[in-house]
Amino acid sequence: MSAKSLHRTLVASLLLLSGLSPAVAQLHAEPSVALAKKETGNIDLAAAKALFDTHSACFVDARSEYSYYNSHIKGAWTLSESRFDEQFHEFRGKMPVTTLIVVYCIGPSCPKARHVAEKLKKNGYRNVKVFSGGLVEWSRAGFPIEG
Amino acid sequence: MTGIVLPSALITGLRLLLGLLFIMSGGEKLLDLKYFSLVIAEYQLLPSLLIPAIALFVSLCELLCGTMLLLDLFSRIGASVMLCMMAIFIAAMTNNLMRGLDHDCGCFEFLAQWYGLKEEIGIGPIVRDILFFILLLPVTLLGSNRIPWKKQQSKPPANTKA
Repeated sequence: MSAKSLHRTLVASLLLLSGLSPAVAQLHAEPSVALAKKETGNIDLAAAKALFDTHSACFVDARSEYSYYNSHIKGAWTLSESRFDEQFHEFRGKMPVTTLIVVYCIGPSCPKARHVAEKLKKNGYRNVKVFSGGLVEWSRAGFPIEG
Repeated sequence: MTGIVLPSALITGLRLLLGLLFIMSGGEKLLDLKYFSLVIAEYQLLPSLLIPAIALFVSLCELLCGTMLLLDLFSRIGASVMLCMMAIFIAAMTNNLMRGLDHDCGCFEFLAQWYGLKEEIGIGPIVRDILFFILLLPVTLLGSNRIPWKKQQSKPPANTKA
């Protein structure tokens, strides 16, 4: 290989790398936590609010029914972890399996939302997200609640 | 029980205290029967169809027995009914605790609101109900079984017999 062709190869390689670098940099810049959240179907407050505003998702409250009775995200359904089997029958009849579902609990420390999301997935619902911030984050932001 | 002697002031004090407590508890439940029904449902001990009726029954029982205790109207019967109910509450909470269930107790919500106590099932509410059970015992055993405003028939004098 001549010096000229070697030079060309090096320049081409550098150009290719510089072209790819933004994508590579972006991939590395994305926090591993966010990636993990995407994998497990977690969404944040902004995403939940966007879905709420566009009416493109069905919100499901995973807390106990009496907690739901006291307060819940406006328009949300109740599917408590403890009484899932009893409540799911009605839910199934009204919500097609293709519906985008956002499950929430009181806050990030509450595991009920994740458990209910898993149960929904087992029952054929594939498009299930967990809003881990839960009702606390939602109400702190001043977003609509009822109950 | 003839051997046990307790001052009547103590029985009266217990009767009034417990009577007020049960009136407030029953009244509160009656005001929001739907909420109380949902709490009972969380215990997962009763069929869904029975729950609204049981919620109404428990609330009315507490209110009625509380009134009976407060007015000293057949207070022994009122205390006995509450004693049975306390035993059922203790058994239900112990059962749920052993099953690892975690939910509201549904016992004295007004106490939770006043003192900021978390009314979830646990050792605390069980111990409290045991305490109420113990406090109900003297009224059950030594309380009166009469209508307070009805005049007690005085014994006829001995010489009227002749």
